[in-house]
Amino acid sequence: MPDDNEILVSAADLRKSYGEHEAVRGVDFEIRRGEAFGFLGANGAGKSTTMRMIGCVSQPTGGTLEVFGRDPHTEGAAIRARLGVVPQDNTLDDMLTVFENLVVYAGYFGIRKKAARAKAEELLDFVQLSARAKDQVSDLSGGMQRRLAIARSLINDPELVILDEPTTGLDPQARHLVWERLFQLKHRGVSILLTTHYMDEAEQLCDRLVVMDEGRIIASGSPRELIDTHVTKEVVELRFGTAHTAELAALAHTLDGVGAQIEPLPDKILVYTDDADDTNAALEARDIHPSSVLARRATLEDVFLRLTGRALVEDEA
Amino acid sequence: MTTATAATETAVDREAPTALTGAWRAFTLQLALFKHVWHGTVFTSVLLPILYMVSIGIGVGAYIDPASLGGLDYAAFIAPGLICSVAVMMLGNDMVFPVFGGYADWGGGYLAQRATPLRPVDILNGHLAYAVLFRPFTNCTIVAVVMAFFGVYTSWWAAFAVIAAALVSAAMAPWMHAWASTLKNDSNLNMIFRFAVMPISLFSGVFFPADQMPAFLQPLVWISPLWHGTELARAATADVAPALPPYAHIAYLALLAVTGWFAARRVIERRLNF
Repeated sequence: MPDDNEILVSAADLRKSYGEHEAVRGVDFEIRRGEAFGFLGANGAGKSTTMRMIGCVSQPTGGTLEVFGRDPHTEGAAIRARLGVVPQDNTLDDMLTVFENLVVYAGYFGIRKKAARAKAEELLDFVQLSARAKDQVSDLSGGMQRRLAIARSLINDPELVILDEPTTGLDPQARHLVWERLFQLKHRGVSILLTTHYMDEAEQLCDRLVVMDEGRIIASGSPRELIDTHVTKEVVELRFGTAHTAELAALAHTLDGVGAQIEPLPDKILVYTDDADDTNAALEARDIHPSSVLARRATLEDVFLRLTGRALVEDEA
Repeated sequence: MTTATAATETAVDREAPTALTGAWRAFTLQLALFKHVWHGTVFTSVLLPILYMVSIGIGVGAYIDPASLGGLDYAAFIAPGLICSVAVMMLGNDMVFPVFGGYADWGGGYLAQRATPLRPVDILNGHLAYAVLFRPFTNCTIVAVVMAFFGVYTSWWAAFAVIAAALVSAAMAPWMHAWASTLKNDSNLNMIFRFAVMPISLFSGVFFPADQMPAFLQPLVWISPLWHGTELARAATADVAPALPPYAHIAYLALLAVTGWFAARRVIERRLNF
């Protein structure tokens, strides 16, 4: 019986440098069997580098790392035999059919042909691509290719599935289909490790996550814990017509006390508050009339913003 | 063990593969790809040799006095070199674009393999096995059989021409792999044809005796793996003494193969350790 408290991955003061550049600057974390663990952070935060070290394709330059209790440096191949990996750019073979992509990949794990074919059929069914088995990969949409990459990562019944930015570049509908399949995996008790810079993805999929910034872990916990610890329950977004940056920064000073904290952004002001109604009443009392007021619950995006002073996805913020 | 999909649990090898098993597993990718492109090799292995033999072997050969070739008919003179040339031509396809594409852009087959128990050296060996063993022993054998219809062999020893072709592949493939592995963009890929495949094919004693070349070009002939292979192949098909003792030709090709393998391993390990 699998032990749910069994630690699959443990890292202590894990570091990775490329020449002068220090991509990962001493991170500590543990990933337990059966959990969905996430690395949340902006591009360049060191998430993918950390994943590559866990995936045993990149040697740490400092600290210690154990995967399944083994040393990636000396037992990389045996560790990889128990991992499933969905790389960000899929690395599917365009020249091969959907079905062949799975069967050939199965061979890398020493799975015999007959078993590989049976497994491939089962997994295509799981990712709802059975009807496309004979198609060339290049004929599939981006979402289908990602689902195929997920199916491929499961070919060896992995104990831990690593997904690097599983829904980056997908349209909303395709993202939901991928999430739905990942939910199914989670439900079946598969341990999942993912990186993302989408806070909604992290909130939906992860039991526990760490927030990374500039190669360091700046916060960790469940999505709820992170929100409770670092931000208030609710956030009120205020817009003032076309006012931006400097004008908003000046306006923010007049808002002192309407919430727990005021955060001026280039296009709006965020008021962190435990009660949006109280904030609205306070604004009314001060005769402050924004052009739009949006009250919402706090998200991981707010946590990230509070911790780093920057949005997770700058161009989407 | 937690399985990803509840229905079946598949027998998976959970340990690191041996070097041989790893190479074999990596090789299966090339085999799967070959099934999609084998018809293209009909041209290289069947039509191209026929065209060469008819146009040059017989056509040009009509103007060549066999006495100038030590009594050898011109078609019989060029046949062994052509078998080896096809091996070089195939390397131009197998060890350039697919290698470059293995690291990204066009599929990233190496990157996919790297996430599995396969190590960089397995990935290298698997691809080399395809280029150095599978391709010569299938395609060059076909070429050799096609040549037989032109009556250019003196004995069954001619079969050794295919081994000579494989030796040429072994000498060149790892170096080409290493070179293609160092490229970061595809604009230089065709250089291998202009500066390696083409000159090697022309100046290796395939179409005329290498000693006819000007003295200052002789060193280029001596370093060409195709010349060494052609000398060996011609000894096999036409029973003529090679320029050097056979072991010397073999030793040179083997030296290139071994040093090339170490170079290629060094490059692929750098590329696939992130």
